[in-house]
This record gives sequence, structure tokens and C-alpha cells, in this order.
Amino acid sequence: MIPATWTDIPAPGGLPEARRAAMERYLAQGLPHTRQEDWHYTALDHLTRQPLHPPAAGDASPVIDEAPGHDHGSSASPAIDGGVSETKRMPGAAGPSQTRGEDAPPLQGGVTHLIFAGERLIETRSTLPTTLLRALEEGDLAAAPTLAPGTALSALNSALWKGGGCLTVPRGQRLERPVFLRFLAGEPEAMLHPRSLIRLEAGAEAVVVETYTGATAANYWCNPVTEVELEPGARLTHVRLIEEGAAATHTGLTAVRLAAESRYALLDLSLTGRVCRNELHLALTGVGAACRLDGLFLSDGRRHSDHHLRVEHAVPGTASRTTYRGVAAGRGLGIFDARVLIRPGADGTDARQDSRNLLLSPHAEIDAKPQLEIYADQVQASHGATVGRLSEEALFYLRTRGIDRIEARRLLLAAFAGEALGLVAEAGLDDWLMPRITARLNEIGESIQ
Amino acid sequence: MLEIKDLHVAIGEKPILKGISLTIRPGEVHAIMGPNGSGKSTLAQVLAGREGYTVTAGTVTWQGQDLLSLAPEERAWAGLFLGFQYPLEIPGVANVQLLKEAVNSQRRRKGLPELDAFDFLERVKASIKLLEMDDAMLYRGVNEGFSGGEKKRNEILQMLMLEPRLAILDETDSGLDIDALKIVARGVNALRGPERAILLVTHYQRLLDHITPDHVHVLADGRILASGGRELALEVEAKGYGWLTEPSPPAPLPQAGEGRGEAGREARP
Repeated sequence: MIPATWTDIPAPGGLPEARRAAMERYLAQGLPHTRQEDWHYTALDHLTRQPLHPPAAGDASPVIDEAPGHDHGSSASPAIDGGVSETKRMPGAAGPSQTRGEDAPPLQGGVTHLIFAGERLIETRSTLPTTLLRALEEGDLAAAPTLAPGTALSALNSALWKGGGCLTVPRGQRLERPVFLRFLAGEPEAMLHPRSLIRLEAGAEAVVVETYTGATAANYWCNPVTEVELEPGARLTHVRLIEEGAAATHTGLTAVRLAAESRYALLDLSLTGRVCRNELHLALTGVGAACRLDGLFLSDGRRHSDHHLRVEHAVPGTASRTTYRGVAAGRGLGIFDARVLIRPGADGTDARQDSRNLLLSPHAEIDAKPQLEIYADQVQASHGATVGRLSEEALFYLRTRGIDRIEARRLLLAAFAGEALGLVAEAGLDDWLMPRITARLNEIGESIQ
Repeated sequence: MLEIKDLHVAIGEKPILKGISLTIRPGEVHAIMGPNGSGKSTLAQVLAGREGYTVTAGTVTWQGQDLLSLAPEERAWAGLFLGFQYPLEIPGVANVQLLKEAVNSQRRRKGLPELDAFDFLERVKASIKLLEMDDAMLYRGVNEGFSGGEKKRNEILQMLMLEPRLAILDETDSGLDIDALKIVARGVNALRGPERAILLVTHYQRLLDHITPDHVHVLADGRILASGGRELALEVEAKGYGWLTEPSPPAPLPQAGEGRGEAGREARP
């Protein structure tokens, strides 16, 4: 189903060979299947029955919302901190092409974003970030990075990727505004493999928001890989928003490496998409590195949302905090499968995992599987997972106050989800993110009896 | 305004209330006293509309309406309020948010405009002051980490904000020290008025030192054994519940058939 000729895409020297090697690795493994332990809960068989193909040149992508400050290249200046930015409409994209720029643009002015539709760059603003392809062509990057583990799907992405962002924040620099990497899809049976790289040099700080958005009816497959490298003392807040189309399959992989004293905060939001699998491979490789992994998944209808986290404490004095909240209704299925590995010598590790889940209907299912593997001494580690229902007691209490059943449920759902959403406000994304999360929660709340 | 007639309630197969009759008129304060397990909390819960109870006989009429056919929120809109014996903690829902939702959802049902933020806050602050609560409690999760006394005061705060026609207070006095008890009583007394009624459910009579009831009923084993005025509560305190529940050797009384029809019987001297 995946012809190797697809690797013949424009690429800088050295890459085609790397692509061929990656394709061989993929072909040797094949699509993951549920007999593999790591894929126990998520079947991809349906992909083999679809005539998947690379995205066509035409743009079938949906129109997306406005991200904060995102004005689709209108002539109005992004009125944020007076910075200078450059907006380019790529050829073939809807709307007039225009370029705006001034001399000596600063590192980042206003909002910066890249928008890809079907892996094709359709809009960019500011010189930061660039695409991964361009970074390689222009020699900013010596070689395609290889932080991602050699899973079959990451190998397939390595072989076939075209679109994707590349953000490097130089040493000591702090980006004032979030950087948006937005991926749109809309073509039925298209196979998308965007690949992004986020690098923060020593002491750098940034907020990066990746969004995956799709047209409702299209049964495309999006298989992105994002690699994150944090040098000593760097701080990244990373939001991944999955709003794929209702017939779409998403198999995302994020690989993160943290050097000493660096901080990584992830907000993993899985709101829509038929089958979603979010894989995170994170390694704390420097003393004093710490991560905070927050997530919320909402599975209603026949939605499937699988969250597969692998956290590795490799050196002493590292910390990880994992807080996931899951809600399943209808025949929805949610999976929280997280393993924290504390390697020999990683003494003084502090690792906490907290997964709480709500089932809102008798046919909904959530499998919570927190795991700890400890090979070091003097470790503080804990994990907890619960799967429960909305408290009838709490509902009754609210109803006696004149709050009707639907409203009471809405309040309780929002409170529950809110436990994993602290980063929304911390990243300054309240106005943009909360309404869409709340809308989904309300939709689910109103759909149940 | 509230008329309970021969109310029988069971949990599963087990009868809990065995024929309660009680009439509450506007302006009245009733106290229901009784030992643990007498069914007094069940009565409060059934009136508020809690699921899990089966009404096997009897009726409850609220301002001409069949109360038992209403959902809990509809009862609240109709002017009923239940102060919980064990108020729930609801982390993540701010106290002020609950108050606002509650007040405004009631106003919407009455066709009134929602309170604007300023008026709302002004009203909350006045009640908070009356109850000697800390403003900070408004912004914490509902009852989250509140002490027992704070929770009870928070119930009274909700009551004052909702201005119910009938407030049923289920053991609101339990677990309160004397100062807190006085504050709670102050809140309840602030609600008293010719249009409103209050039903106090309590184990001890000490609350009645601060909220003077018009009528006192003693409930035991699902029946009202005696009804009277304030003096009945004092008698209960002096003698305990035993003198009412134990068979009394002198003055043989006619046995009430199947335990029905006892409601409203006056206290024996």
C-alpha cells in the first residue's frame, strides 16, 4: 500500500538515502497491530483498506479559526508589541499574496505561525519559524534529526515527510508570543506525515502550539512526528491540540529530550478525530530537568483516543508530573497508558502520575494503565488512576440549588476537565482555547441521558 | 403552603417513614426532632427530591402542586431549599460560581433578568458579613477544604441568596460550636418572614434556643409521636426520647392500627 517511490520528493542532499533507509525500516516492521503490547488498544487495520495516497496539490482543507492574533494576512498590522513581521501567502493559497517586511526584523514580532494544508505550506508569518525542509536546504540544520524512536510509524514519517516546522530559539532568547504550527487536512484518503523540530538553545524560552485540524467527512490519515530538544536551562510550553475530522485517523508522535535544568510543559488536548493515538517519548537526560505533562481527552460517539506516554528518568535529580483527565461517552474509548522508567543511578527522582477518568455512558470505556519501573534509589514515585462516574450526590446537591441537570453536569464536567487545564491560562491561551474545550464538553454533557 | 399527608417512604423494601402528616403555613417555623434513625433526614431528602427513595403511599402538596412529581431543580424554582446535613465538596466549581448560577437560573425561570455582577456581589457580601464568613471562601471550590462549621455557614449563605419560600435545614446545627450556632441562627432568623416558612430537622433542642419554633414534632421509627409547641422540645431535652418511644404503663392508649393515623397527636403531659 505504500510505494517506495513516494520518497522521491524534493529534498536536500543526503536525505533521499535516509528516506530509503527509513522506508526499509518501516517495511521490515509494517503497520502496528494489536498483538503488539504497545498497540494493544489501538487497531489501524482500517488504514489497510483505504487507498491511501499522498496529498494532491489541490487544497481541500477546511478554513480554520483565528488563532490569537491570527489575521490571515490582512493588511492590518498584528498590533502586538509593535514588532515587525512578515506575512507571506504561498502560491496557490487562497487570498491575495502579499509580503510585508521592514529592515532588520527582530527575532519575533507579534504572532508567528506556519499553516500547512495537506503538508503544503500555505501561509507563514515572520521569519521564525521556518519549515524543516527549508532549514535543511539552507544548511541551518546539518541533518534530519533523529530523536524519535525507531517505531514503524516514525520510520514511515522519516521516509515520507514533506511539511512541518522548524523552530530554533537562540541561546537566552525568550519569545514573547506563542508560535503556531498548524496542520490542516481535508482530502479523503490523503496520507500526511508532517515533521517538525523545536529546538531551544540554552536558557531560551518559548510557547509552541501545534494544531491538527481536519474536514469532518474526510477519512485521511495524519502521522506527524515532532521532535523537541531542550538545551540546559531552556523552557518550553508545548500545546498539542487535536481537532481532526470525525472520520480521520491521527497517529502523532512527540519525542522530547531535556538537558540539565530544562523545563518542558505539555498540554495534550485530544478533542476530535475518529481514531487518535498520541505517543510521547520523553527523556530527562540532564540533572535537574523537569517536565509537566497535562492532558485531556474527550471520547464520545465512537471516538477512540489513545495516549501512550513513555517517560525516562536517566540521571539523578529529575522530576516528572503527569496529570491526565479523560472523559468517555457513547461508545467512546479512551486509553491512558503511561510508563515512567527510572533508570539505575537516577537517584532522587521525583515522579508522579495522576490519571482520572469519567465514564458517562454504559458503553463507554476507559483503560487507565499507569506504570512505574524503578531501578534507582531514594526515589519519590507515585501513580494513581481512577475511572468513575459523575457524582450523583454532587449532581443532586447542585440541582437542589435550582441548577438543572444539564447545567449541573456541565459545571461538574468543566470542573473535572479543569484539573488538567492549568497550562491554558499559564500560556495565555484562555480566550482562544477555553471556548473550544468548553463547547466540546457541553456537547458531550448534553448528549448523555 | 406545604401539606404532607400520610406519607410512607421506603428504601428498597425497608419502610422508613410510616405515615407522616404535617401542615406548614406561611410564616411558621417547625422543628422536627428525633433520635438517630427515626427517619427525619429521610423526610428532608424526600421533600428535596432525592432519588433512591420510594414513596409507597401519601401525598405532598406544595402551594397546590404535587411536590413529589417535580425534579429537584423544579422544587428549588418553586421556592424550596434543603440545607444539607453533610454539604458536598465540589472542587473546581468556585463557590461564587455556584451562587451565581443558582441565583440566575432561578431568576431566569421567573422571567427576571440575571443579576449583574455588581448587584450580585453586593448581595453576596452583605450575607457573607452577616454570617461572619471570609470573602476568600467565595473563590474557593464549593466547600472544598471547609471546616464543618464553614460548610454549614455556606449552606446558610446559599439559602440567603436563594431566598426560598420554605427552607428545610437538615441538622444544620450538628458539629457547630456555640458561636457558630449563633451565627447560623442569625442567618436563619434573617430569613424569617410572614411569607416564608422554615423546617428545622434536628437531634438536639439547643438550636431551638436561638431559633424559636412555632411547632415542634417528635419523630421516631418513621412516625410523628408527638406534636406541640416550644415546650415539647424542652421536655425532650429533659427526659430524652425514651419517654415517648417506650410503651407507657399507665393510662392505656388505644393502639394505632398499622402505625397510621398517629400524626398530629399531642404530646402527653
